[in-house]
Amino acid sequence: MRRGITALIILFSVSWSLRAQEADTLSAASVVSERERPVLRPSEEVRLDAQAAVPQQVADVLNRFTGVQVKDYGGAGGLKTVNVRSLGSEHVGVFLDGIQIDNAQNMQVDLGRFSTDGLQSVSLYNGQKTGRLQTAKEYASGAAVHLRTAQPVHPDGSGGRVRLRGGTLGTVNPSVQWDKDLLPGLTLRTSAEFLYSSGRYRFPYFDTTLVRENGDIRSLRAEMMLLGRHKGGDWRLHIYSYGSERGFPGPVIRRALGFPFSAERQADQDIFVQGSWNQEWNRRYATALRLKYANNYTHYCTHAEKDPMAFPYDLHYRQQSGYASLAQSVTIMDWWTADLSTDVQYNTLASDVGQFVSPRRTTFTGALATRFVREKFRAAAHIAYLGAWDVFRTPDAGGWSRQNAWRDAWMPSVSLSWQPFPFLELDAFCKRTFRLPSFNDLYYSLMGNSSLKPESALQCGGDVRFAREWGNWQVEARVSPYYNRVNNKIVAIPTASQFRWTMLNVGLADITGVEVKAEAGWSAGQWDLRLTGRYCFQQALDHSTEGSRTYGNQIPYIPLHSGNLSLQVRWRQWALGWDSAFTGERWSRTANIADYRIDPWSITDVSLQRTVTLPPLRRRTVPPSLVFSIRCNNLFNCHYQIVQGYPMPGINGVAAATFLW
Amino acid sequence: MKKAFLLLLCGALAFSACDKNNPEGGVKESDLTGETVDLSEFGYTGPRKIFILNEGQKGANNASLDVIRFSDKQYLSGVFKKVNPGAGGLGDVGNDIAVIGDEVWIVVNNSGIVEVISAEDEKEIAAIKVPTPRRIAYDDDYVYVTSWSGAFVDGHYDESNHYVVTDSANPKGQVYRIDRKTKKVKGSVEVGYQPEGIGLLDGKLYVANSGGISSQIAPDYAYDHTISVIDAASFTVSETIDVVDVEGGTRRVVNLKDVYVEPFSKKIYFTALGDYGGNHSGLYYIQNDGKIYLASHYVSVSARYFNEIYCIGTEQEFDWSATSKDWSAWSWSGNHKVPLFYSFLKDMAVPYGLCLYNDRILFLSDAGDYFNPGTVTMIANGEKVWTVTAGVCPGHFAIW
Repeated sequence: MRRGITALIILFSVSWSLRAQEADTLSAASVVSERERPVLRPSEEVRLDAQAAVPQQVADVLNRFTGVQVKDYGGAGGLKTVNVRSLGSEHVGVFLDGIQIDNAQNMQVDLGRFSTDGLQSVSLYNGQKTGRLQTAKEYASGAAVHLRTAQPVHPDGSGGRVRLRGGTLGTVNPSVQWDKDLLPGLTLRTSAEFLYSSGRYRFPYFDTTLVRENGDIRSLRAEMMLLGRHKGGDWRLHIYSYGSERGFPGPVIRRALGFPFSAERQADQDIFVQGSWNQEWNRRYATALRLKYANNYTHYCTHAEKDPMAFPYDLHYRQQSGYASLAQSVTIMDWWTADLSTDVQYNTLASDVGQFVSPRRTTFTGALATRFVREKFRAAAHIAYLGAWDVFRTPDAGGWSRQNAWRDAWMPSVSLSWQPFPFLELDAFCKRTFRLPSFNDLYYSLMGNSSLKPESALQCGGDVRFAREWGNWQVEARVSPYYNRVNNKIVAIPTASQFRWTMLNVGLADITGVEVKAEAGWSAGQWDLRLTGRYCFQQALDHSTEGSRTYGNQIPYIPLHSGNLSLQVRWRQWALGWDSAFTGERWSRTANIADYRIDPWSITDVSLQRTVTLPPLRRRTVPPSLVFSIRCNNLFNCHYQIVQGYPMPGINGVAAATFLW
Repeated sequence: MKKAFLLLLCGALAFSACDKNNPEGGVKESDLTGETVDLSEFGYTGPRKIFILNEGQKGANNASLDVIRFSDKQYLSGVFKKVNPGAGGLGDVGNDIAVIGDEVWIVVNNSGIVEVISAEDEKEIAAIKVPTPRRIAYDDDYVYVTSWSGAFVDGHYDESNHYVVTDSANPKGQVYRIDRKTKKVKGSVEVGYQPEGIGLLDGKLYVANSGGISSQIAPDYAYDHTISVIDAASFTVSETIDVVDVEGGTRRVVNLKDVYVEPFSKKIYFTALGDYGGNHSGLYYIQNDGKIYLASHYVSVSARYFNEIYCIGTEQEFDWSATSKDWSAWSWSGNHKVPLFYSFLKDMAVPYGLCLYNDRILFLSDAGDYFNPGTVTMIANGEKVWTVTAGVCPGHFAIW
């Protein structure tokens, strides 16, 4: 077993040839049969080596994918959300082991909070995920990011990892993970990670250099997972807790000397418990049951005593959600399956914000899906239904009101895939999804509009995939054109008063784009080289109001051109990585004028890793290993902004030492 | 083909590597050119300049100053930044502007700065530090600036000009007094919650208190509804007038905004935004006998000329689901409403700022979507003369 040999930070899906099959969550041990094959493969997938020495945030991994724009406010504590093919982050579902991580308050998941530690893969589905035994929410989300936790595999019955990581920006990041087989087919995994980062970095401001202040973060993550396996099925129970306390450095604006940019701080306590149970009852019938309870507490304070310019807010929020999903799959013929998935979710949000209406939402999602999987031709279709029932307390009525409380939508989807030759595959999909208005859109006291309709997204796309091997060479390429239309887009619109805005379903955007990915690999002897290039063209036009001055302009923060180039070299126990990413000019507003142009930028990260295999310990067969790695981000010290007013760090580095046994 | 693509990508990477911003050199105001506009309605008696303050969006640092230059009939955009490149832009949220002598005083709310520039060439004269300044008034010696600072913290400046915080418990706002000559802060006086408009009449400052922030703060969640009267000579509050109930009115008057002092009949006009619920906006006045009267409801934008108050508003102001609103305009001539038939109002998204040159020529700005640049329209004899693109949220005017 090549246990000690680890990839770089990321192991790109090297082995992902066209004949490879998706490792499904369903019983890892069982052989994946033909009918498990997904119709559409993920647009991008990164296999993470369980022993990789420098973990990254999930956002850093996604950043390299075609069609993905990570909105990053800078620093370890800064919010990081992800747009896929110019669909807003509200349309991008983030799933951990098939169960959605969601946020009813603003419909955005901060991917900066998830480290790749302990994950086996990060996959992106630009189109439709068409696996077996999916939750209804997987059918109902526009684009999807899937995080899959790694299966502990330890021939000695136990194993673990201790890591110390530190670097510039005052980063200290120790973590520990320990796995133990309790019984045959029952494994316990526990892990914990602490992060501190001062978030202080220099950035240029006109003729001077300033230091980013109040961007520090402390966080502690503790997890426990029980994984069980039995005849025809498996189950897992996952308890996750995350606490953090961080500052928001605020936008860089002109400020009188002595006034800070911001003194805002936020403390979070997130706890969730999720469980899943997959069972193959017989050759024809299988079920997956998934349950989740989540409790997220946020304390946000502007600390007006330190910032005379701040609004004196000291607010507390608690979100709770309960979720249950049952997916059933019937195999009608060996190549034809039908699935029925039904999800129920209950969300509440409590807060001490003025005139808060304490909304409660019950969401039902159902999906009926079918799949045909033949040797050269695969097809899938589904229809999903989303219904949401909101109850909220209006300030004047004093009791529970039900006005405009029911929202529903039908979401159809079709996917086709044809493989005329072993090295060539063509596929296409078309789907419509809706996203519900968030609690903030509906009920925020100075903005909300409780009569909003769901926002709709039509997505159509195709892929041409090519993969071939010649001797030591492997070549893969993908070209994916697409078209998206977002309408009834929820947009904040001012009312007659500057202090009171409202949310309206008035936005319309047409997005046309093409993604190109090419990958070449060469391996011989102890050498392994891999070069990957990605390019993405996205024309995302605002078509909200015909005749307006911004009609037909590029929507904010979407670059017309973006891409990246990465080189991975491995030799014996060394690994070297080089990543250059490029983002073309963008505008921070729909008015595409010089005042709101954001300069193009490109940054380069390099990393180096060395693995040392140690002699085996007593009574153990697997030798322990030590992994040393260093990583330099933004090697050429480029000063750039992803979000206007939020400068990103210049050159910075991290070093890590990991002991695995 | 793939190689070609990779080469292309490499080329793109090399080309774009770390764009360095070249700070533009300072430009003389006289060198600036903009859009030529028709100013023939003014005849030979026009002003030298009209300054337009674009508020910008909070947090985006994009407040900007536009100028209508009468000498060569140019509409100039973003003048402050071009003339003063070292200042880092005008700042975040421009909230008020006034021509005082040959100086232009600009209140930059979220930058904590009152910017003083020369009206002649827009060169910076001083940047005065005032926490969250809002609106401005002046007499021969001093400039008075309302400040929400009190809403955030109570504090003072020490000898080295550092702000020393003494309390942060929902305190009231302040009026800062700035010496016109030295541009130094000469004391402050506490008024109501989140003071907005300020007007000076016969040695007395009238300050409208909004309570816009305290309406969001536990336990009361209440708007303010008082006018603080400050004796300018002693710089102390001499009286606080509660205006919540007006003569014959049925709605509560809360969340005060503008103050207009009318020197001829000595009326103190003020507007209130209302509570976004049952109590709508309106224009009110305090009569010489101290009684408070309602002039008209639904006032979103207003301006004074001589003894008239021009108003624009809509009954749909608190209709959160209306996609377009039915705006109307009128003037209050002291004792009755005179409708103004402005057909161009129907093309406007949000009438936002109004400037009366006289009772015939006026300027009206449209904030559009508050996010992208808005427009400024010149109106003469009730007809639109021209419309130009301004900055984000053009909202305040000053005539030199």
